[in-house]
Amino acid sequence: MSQDGLDPVIHAPARLRIVVTLAALRDGDDLSFTRLQELIGLTPGNLITHLRKLEDAGYVTSEKNGSGVTARTSVALTLSGRAALERYTTVLRQLLDSADQG
Amino acid sequence: MNGTADTTGGAGMDEAAATDDGSPMGAAEAAAIIRETGQRARQQFRVSHRVTFTIWGFGLLLGYGALWLAARGQRPFHGPDPAAFATVVLLANASAAAGLLSARAEDGVGGLSAVRQRIYFLSVFAGLAAMFALEGALVRAGAGRPAIGVFEASAPVLVAGLFYVITSAVWLDWPVLGLGIWLVVAAAAGGFAGPAGVWGVDALAAGLAYLVMAVIEPWVRQS
Repeated sequence: MSQDGLDPVIHAPARLRIVVTLAALRDGDDLSFTRLQELIGLTPGNLITHLRKLEDAGYVTSEKNGSGVTARTSVALTLSGRAALERYTTVLRQLLDSADQG
Repeated sequence: MNGTADTTGGAGMDEAAATDDGSPMGAAEAAAIIRETGQRARQQFRVSHRVTFTIWGFGLLLGYGALWLAARGQRPFHGPDPAAFATVVLLANASAAAGLLSARAEDGVGGLSAVRQRIYFLSVFAGLAAMFALEGALVRAGAGRPAIGVFEASAPVLVAGLFYVITSAVWLDWPVLGLGIWLVVAAAAGGFAGPAGVWGVDALAAGLAYLVMAVIEPWVRQS
């Protein structure tokens, strides 16, 4: 955790966008790498970098199906990732509330 | 996953946590990202039921309405054959358009939703195939043209109604459950209007129900 209690794995604009986008999917759904890239607006290389960091933390899973032109990499938020986003949102709300009061 | 060198790193807040202008991302910026990204993602993944309902509403009103106009007053009843063809084309086009709209929203989305989608299509296909088979069985059993007429008008509405009831059971979608039950009732009650009248009753009852759903759907979802 960072000093202010925000999960540093999520607390980065690109990774926050990735996690929030994947959280908008229904439980049990995944998203293709291409569509995620289109929605987030990152280069493939940058997206891979951020996904790897999230994957290392156990927040997302990626799976590659097929080969050649039919290959499809899909990305999904794990239960742990969804819980981490909820924690992050709670801490963020507390920070904003305390800033409002201060 | 093949990756490039990680651009993140460092103690505490990594450099990827910085905003576009290089300053560290604050709580307010993070909250704005969550709000805007979440809203955009939900919008992108959401199938426009409003457009789908409108297409089906006008499809039924015009298609079934045309069949009613073609069949009413027939003595003896022989069925609206030329208009039936037009209806099939119209409904097929509506179905294809609705399917394409759905496909765009669900483009790239896999997992359970994709499996459910295939099961839905399979159930509709099986229902319609069984309907045509039963119609053949009725003809073979000696059913008259009026009885066949009632069946061929009401059965598709019944299949659609049951489809929506099943859909609502999966997603706990109450407006869709209402539509499904209404279509089932309309299909059953419409048959009592006779082989010509059933087209008119189903056109109004089912077609207008779809249009009402198209009007109220965004409001119902928000409340």
